[in-house]
Amino acid sequence: MLEPFIMPLSVSIKTVLAATVITFFLGIAAARWMVDYKGRFSSLIDVLFLLPIVLPPTVIGFGLLLLFGSRGPLGKLLALFDTTIIFSWPATVVTAVIVAFPLMYMTARGGFEQVDPNLENAARTLGAGEWRLFWTVTLPLSWPTVMAATVLAFTRALGEFGATLMLAGNLPGRTTTLPVAIYFRLQAGQMHEALVLTLVVFIFALASLALLAYWKAQARRNGRGQ
Amino acid sequence: MLEVNIKRALPGFTLDISLTVNEEIVSILGPSGSGKTMTLFCIAGLVRPDAGLIKLNNRIIYSSADQIFIAPRNRKIGFVFQNYALFPHLTVAENIAYGLAGQPKPTVSKKVAELLEVINIPALKDRYPAELSSGQQQRVALARAIAPEPEALLLDEPFSALDTYRKERMEYELLSLYRYYRGDILFVTHDLEQGFKLGKQIAVYDNGKIVQYADKYTVISNPVNRTAARLSGFKNLIEGRVVACSVDEATVFIPEFEQTLMVNFPKSLKLNTDQPVIIGIRPEHLTAVSQPKHNSVGCRLDRKVRGVTTLHSYYYALADQQNRYSLECLDPQTFLDHQDHLQDTCYIHFNPQHLVIIPLD
Repeated sequence: MLEPFIMPLSVSIKTVLAATVITFFLGIAAARWMVDYKGRFSSLIDVLFLLPIVLPPTVIGFGLLLLFGSRGPLGKLLALFDTTIIFSWPATVVTAVIVAFPLMYMTARGGFEQVDPNLENAARTLGAGEWRLFWTVTLPLSWPTVMAATVLAFTRALGEFGATLMLAGNLPGRTTTLPVAIYFRLQAGQMHEALVLTLVVFIFALASLALLAYWKAQARRNGRGQ
Repeated sequence: MLEVNIKRALPGFTLDISLTVNEEIVSILGPSGSGKTMTLFCIAGLVRPDAGLIKLNNRIIYSSADQIFIAPRNRKIGFVFQNYALFPHLTVAENIAYGLAGQPKPTVSKKVAELLEVINIPALKDRYPAELSSGQQQRVALARAIAPEPEALLLDEPFSALDTYRKERMEYELLSLYRYYRGDILFVTHDLEQGFKLGKQIAVYDNGKIVQYADKYTVISNPVNRTAARLSGFKNLIEGRVVACSVDEATVFIPEFEQTLMVNFPKSLKLNTDQPVIIGIRPEHLTAVSQPKHNSVGCRLDRKVRGVTTLHSYYYALADQQNRYSLECLDPQTFLDHQDHLQDTCYIHFNPQHLVIIPLD
């Protein structure tokens, strides 16, 4: 009896966890790289990274279909390995990563840029390479911001609907995430089921925000500042 | 030995300096925005100069001709930042140990314990920087910088955030640290007294150039230009023209005074008749007398400029009712003695031996 609710919940949890982990590392790497990158394409790359925020999800979904379709460059590449991601579970992860990435990137970059440059300079004169100073100075000092970025990415991944539907479709138990399930329950006139699923999402989102608030308080308590 | 010869374009002026530090403390003295901090950043490798050569103990760490740029982490140069730049998320001990990465643990803890003793705060090793006073933060920053045993130590206005009492204690402690740390020390300040107390040599900066680099006593007694004179405490600078001179004595006409002054000068200085010059004298060397005498000019007491204690009061004495010139004078006793009738006219005496003469080009 609970199966119709548990299936989209478990798909969503798997998708969102995978997407958050991938976005976390991608976003931090991109942010770290862009802080130092002073080349002439820097603003172009920045715009490209932030594009998914301003584009409608359907446009992103359509773009991804073109990219991963049997005639698209990535589709052809995957075809070499006899596989495709369209209408499969990985597609839900790909779309979630794409829409969550700009939030992770933008917020983490802001955090890195707020670290006093002289702290990084001090680490340099004390013999630290760029890698060590990032892990021992920059990242720990911007950790609260990075955590906030992660929660934002997590919630955005959870809420993704349009692009997911276009690229991954609606295959119950495989690609039907919570938002997609809600939509189709409503379409089918199953108001009660839709309402229960909505409540599940609501609790999920609320828990994330509580976590965010907790981290913020924690950061303030540990805030040894300067 | 640290040899620096660099050029770097900065907004408004170009830093172009050449300087050698040979196992001693050198003070860089200059007004704000004269390129002092930039010099240290270039030496440490935190900023890349436009051109030049930097050698540390005969090791080339920067050379534009040979396209050599050694990364800051490999330069073996310690740096104490103006705001100390202690890592706020690490304890005192962890801060000091930061530059000792890669050394075996027992060595690191022994070294940290030793340095905590030297800076006299062994009990605070597990505290975080925000829990320390600024004087203590300062000492941790020093200890952290010398822990990896750098070949040169650069200090960027390290005492500017301290009050007078702590400043004096820290200056003393820096000197005692110097006994522990043997290497070149380059020290930036805008405070003459501090530069004089700590340095052996003083490099006077103005607008990105070194206008004078000499033994501190020379800088104090024979400034080479207006900026050097002002920075080394000659608050009274008067323009004039040589009308007669012998080997070590000159008569200088001062248009503002409408009279001449006798000035003694070192034999090494070459002066010609008709040469425009600046005459400088420190406030503490001006004395007020009630009767006109040789080398004196008429003045009236204008106002007390600053200071609450009699010993540290500055007075402005203006020469005449037209306020054509003003002199700064630190001579409380004279003024206390003459307080009443000084409202009228007194005479400020210029001792020829205390006057410096700076030729203008």
